[in-house]
Amino acid sequence: MSCSSVEDLPEQCKDLFTQDGVLLKASLGRPISDLNSIGMLCIVQNMDGSKCIEWRPNDLITIDSDTQDQEWAVVNTIGRRQRTLSGNMTSDYEAARARIIRIPLDELKSFKVSRNNQQMQFSTKQGVWQNTCYFQHGNAEIFLSYLKNHVKTAKTRHDRNTYVVVEPNAECQVLNKSFAELDIFTENTTDVVWNLVSNFKQRPYETTMEAFSKLTDIVYYGEGVNGKREMSDEVADLLTKSMSALEDTTSITRSEEYEVINVKPTLPPRPSIPREALNSRGTPLSTEKWDGLQDPEGRITEVEGVKQLIFRGGVAHSIYFQHPVWVKNIFERIAPFMFKVEGTPLSTEKWDGLQDPEGRITEVEGVKQLIFRGGVAHSIRHSVWKYLLDYYPWKMTKTELKSLHKKRTEEYFSMKLQWRSMTEGQELRFSEYRDRKSLVEKDVNRTDRTHPFFAGDNNPNLIVLQDILMTYVMYNFDLGYVQGMSDILAPLLLLLGNEVDSFWCFVGFMEKISSNFDMDQAGMKQQLLNLQQLMAFITPDLAKHLASKDSGNMYFCFRWLLVWFKREFSHRDIMRLWEVLWTGLPCANFHLLICVAILDAEKDVLISKDYGFTEVLKHVNDLSMCLDVDIILSTAEGIYHQIVSSPHLSDQIRLILGLPLAPKPEVPEPEPTTFSNGNDRGETEEVTLEYNGHEISVVTKTVWALLA
Amino acid sequence: MAKTYDYLFKLLLIGDSGVGKTSILFRFSEDAFNISFISTIGIDFKIRTIDLDGKKVKLQIWDTAGQERFRTITTAYYRGSMGIMLVYDVTNEKSFENIKNWIRNIEENASADVEKMILGNKCDLDAKRQVSKERGEQLAVEYQIKFVETSAKDSLNVEYAFYTLARDIKAKMEKKQEASNPAGARSGTHQLRDERPKPTSWLSRCSVL
Repeated sequence: MSCSSVEDLPEQCKDLFTQDGVLLKASLGRPISDLNSIGMLCIVQNMDGSKCIEWRPNDLITIDSDTQDQEWAVVNTIGRRQRTLSGNMTSDYEAARARIIRIPLDELKSFKVSRNNQQMQFSTKQGVWQNTCYFQHGNAEIFLSYLKNHVKTAKTRHDRNTYVVVEPNAECQVLNKSFAELDIFTENTTDVVWNLVSNFKQRPYETTMEAFSKLTDIVYYGEGVNGKREMSDEVADLLTKSMSALEDTTSITRSEEYEVINVKPTLPPRPSIPREALNSRGTPLSTEKWDGLQDPEGRITEVEGVKQLIFRGGVAHSIYFQHPVWVKNIFERIAPFMFKVEGTPLSTEKWDGLQDPEGRITEVEGVKQLIFRGGVAHSIRHSVWKYLLDYYPWKMTKTELKSLHKKRTEEYFSMKLQWRSMTEGQELRFSEYRDRKSLVEKDVNRTDRTHPFFAGDNNPNLIVLQDILMTYVMYNFDLGYVQGMSDILAPLLLLLGNEVDSFWCFVGFMEKISSNFDMDQAGMKQQLLNLQQLMAFITPDLAKHLASKDSGNMYFCFRWLLVWFKREFSHRDIMRLWEVLWTGLPCANFHLLICVAILDAEKDVLISKDYGFTEVLKHVNDLSMCLDVDIILSTAEGIYHQIVSSPHLSDQIRLILGLPLAPKPEVPEPEPTTFSNGNDRGETEEVTLEYNGHEISVVTKTVWALLA
Repeated sequence: MAKTYDYLFKLLLIGDSGVGKTSILFRFSEDAFNISFISTIGIDFKIRTIDLDGKKVKLQIWDTAGQERFRTITTAYYRGSMGIMLVYDVTNEKSFENIKNWIRNIEENASADVEKMILGNKCDLDAKRQVSKERGEQLAVEYQIKFVETSAKDSLNVEYAFYTLARDIKAKMEKKQEASNPAGARSGTHQLRDERPKPTSWLSRCSVL
């Protein structure tokens, strides 16, 4: 006996998302008798791949509403969802089927959420709401968020709850063409373009900035531009908005048309710090100014003036590193992230310039510094990541790399053959292998499926994802496959696009974090413990609060640490965060300081609302996709400098961050009104760290030259 | 601020990776189903308040990562849970066999008198079925745990399962209260109802004929 009635429909379609408890309140052209009945609102994929929104009345699948459920009827007025096949499936059924409402997604023009998430309206024609649905659970926002995965939308000028569908087909072709002409990408695949388009939607400002200079010409002077652009031309409009915002950075360019632009370019709001300070900031306090501010004995008399200067424009790097103690004093008065020194991403030109004629990269630390400061330009990520993930050795010539690549390719395919050639019989007698394989299959099918690169049935990228993970099982059978690995691999594959390269980069990434996947979870426990110790040092009040709420073990950060924040950020942001973390700068376990930075920003909420064990977990889980990677990175860096300039640093903390254990001679705290020059105390210009057995000079002259 | 509920029950969903724990929870808390769920890393929970025999019962339902490796972390959350849903996938033999291991896991980490229930999920996928309903029932009898087959996708028995578990916890709690406070014994207004799975057509909907 078949057990599902929906599948019995002749149309072979697949429900991508279903929401029960949805009342059809109004539908143009339907008899009144059809209205006000309960049903299910779905996003359905048809056989031909097209999608539609479908509302199905519940009595399509008859409901037992009378006897059996009485005791629950009181309990839960919306509880009668149990459907049976006990009803007759004849004329009633046919009548009910005729009442199904279908709205093909490519015809959908706009939709609107209103009445406190209880109502959603759909339109396939400008100005007419044909269908109105009422969500009994008041959770229309969930349907909305899934619908937005399937259509490209923009908010309208008049009503922030109304979404206009940006026509996918024609628009995208034009876009693809434009991007192809622009040659922004080294690999000009549709997927990469789609990735960019989706980034436009998610983080328009940043994405725009990246393609900005090249796109300007197209938008303003390209073909087919005459006067006002179509409302639906989302990307171009966003560009225009961004440009006008740029042209006049001091004026607040507000647009109600696209909410995203309301967010000011550099930083989203943060309670204690006025953001205008950063936008209208002056130039950093320079070495020259700094020198001029000191009297012949090295005293600084104009303390308030100095503070003002710093508040406006931060501190130049050179001063910053020369005066850790002095900097700490300021830290206590002004938020750490005021010391953010913005860098530009490592660009193609810089990257090319860093290679010697044979293609070797000699200034490795300099490159890492640059990446730590400003990340990597998207167009050269596919190349730089191979070095950062130890697939390509920095000091190898182009010729050597070529033969290495060949060797690794052969190696990969021979490992792949090992599992591909396994017979069914072998598999049957090899339970450990079978278990791993089934785990991989399960997880591949639920990894980033809302991202265009992995979306849809029979997506070939899923097969590549699976093949790499299975080959990794052969590469490291002891570790095998552990949940979370597919999350780690997905952005690598998305960026690199190539199976072999993605595999070896994945291997390199796993080298860095393999202890996360220990059988006994010792690595994770150690990190959680270290995080707890860092918290106690940096934000003792929050650490105390958490301990008093049974959350001192920091287990609520488990997801952050296991997959290096993959679930907390968009693909675009995670790429930026990861490449910074891969540099290993400025200290070991910098990712733990990222945790501290995030929690520090939530400190007020967590403490003032007296959040307990469950609320803390919920709050932390709900931060996902609400975090600003740049703010967090600069806060974390600020915290790092806070730590290293602290006169009382325990060996415990030093060990965690890989700082040298030998304590420096005590330096008396300078008088509040007098700042002595750091050189008097014999501070070196280089801060030397030890990480993974290597000595790292954080500040070298080369780096400053590069930064300049 | 006045409490908006009479009871707070902490429930837990455990079972192998990919059996549908998150889907079951999503169905119960949002009455929705999403074909492209992501795997659960670490732990999360959702809340739904239900009316049970005139009492408002707030259910705090914890969803855990299924892979064995993460048990050392997830078991930390067993503490204080009053009811546990043991979930397997009827299309996956292994997940069914592992129910015994999960029960042992509970015995080691949860309080002794925690209420339990076994759910055989994905019963809508009849064509792929590997575990018959009878075997599920047999296992349930063996451990004296209630059992029901569910489908998060088709919204089958999910409500029933949570209500049943909640009802059992409430009954046990009230029994304890009465035992400790016999003078204040209640009148018959909140007598327990028959708790057997209802022998209705929708229960047998998934049986293989």
